[in-house]
Amino acid sequence: MAYFRITLLRSAIGLPLKSRQTLSALGLKKRMATVYHPVTQTIAGQIMRVKELVDVAEVAEPKTVQQMREARRPDPGYYVEKTYGSGDRIV
Amino acid sequence: MALLAQSLKRCLLETRYALPPTFLLPFRASITTVSQTLETRNIPEPLLQSGQHVSSDLEEKLKTSAADAAANSSAPSSKTKTGPYAREDKVATSITPSIQRLLPLLHSQPSHYITAHLHGHPYLLTRGDTVRLPFLMPKVQPGDILRLNRATHIGSRDYTLKAPEPTKGTRDVPKKIHYLDDRLFVCRARVIGVESEPMRVMKKTKRRQRYVRHVFSKHKFTVIKISDLDVRSLEDYQKRVKGGKAGPDLN
Repeated sequence: MAYFRITLLRSAIGLPLKSRQTLSALGLKKRMATVYHPVTQTIAGQIMRVKELVDVAEVAEPKTVQQMREARRPDPGYYVEKTYGSGDRIV
Repeated sequence: MALLAQSLKRCLLETRYALPPTFLLPFRASITTVSQTLETRNIPEPLLQSGQHVSSDLEEKLKTSAADAAANSSAPSSKTKTGPYAREDKVATSITPSIQRLLPLLHSQPSHYITAHLHGHPYLLTRGDTVRLPFLMPKVQPGDILRLNRATHIGSRDYTLKAPEPTKGTRDVPKKIHYLDDRLFVCRARVIGVESEPMRVMKKTKRRQRYVRHVFSKHKFTVIKISDLDVRSLEDYQKRVKGGKAGPDLN
């Protein structure tokens, strides 16, 4: 099943109430927020209403918030080699 | 007498123009993990030999190692993936010709610095440095030994081994940082303790109200000390690449 990946690029400040409500119906509360919705006529119509504000791409699989966050997280860059008091000696 | 003076003058002139003027010489020789044959050849020969004496057996070793390098340039990867959606940071795994040539020189110099990345933030470190990290490291206690395994630069006085520049992220492709192979170096840090800042007081006020609410906060930070920083020799590195040993290893 295909999904829309919708990213809010421009703020809805100063726009009519209908546009703002469409954005909140899509689940877009602030700029650069990304949501995934299935490709349906309803969603396509909502996107058309706010097409000047959003970036849309069609993707195969949706991502959860945790997955999107995970994709941005860098490597910790360290691991604990030896804990204090543990017997193993480092050569 | 005049003849001698003339020849002496010519000798002087010749030695002066053997090298380009100092401001044209590169400030520092650079090694990259990208195999760019042009870049390594840019370094003039006199500069390579100016900093220190390279013994003849070291040069011999270099030649022999360069010969058997072509065979195992495609090395097994040391990638440790955490999850299917985790960010992919590139860790170099192959021995490039410039590493072949210049790693022994970097290794032969006495003290080194490293740009280690912790949670994506760079720290320029050398042995003996004490670092107050800007966060409280979870699940460690004083005395623990950490191994720093993500670095973009390792350098000495004359040489720097650099990883490629990071690629900027787009909406479709996340940012990618290129790190040096973690088998190239050993960097250990000991957790010294936890430091805390002075209490912060923030005054919260409402309009037309006399009451002032005070909000207190006091953050804690982990302090580490770099106990060990070594660059591995070329033979050692090649052995590890050949053996496919990657990730957590003892020394």
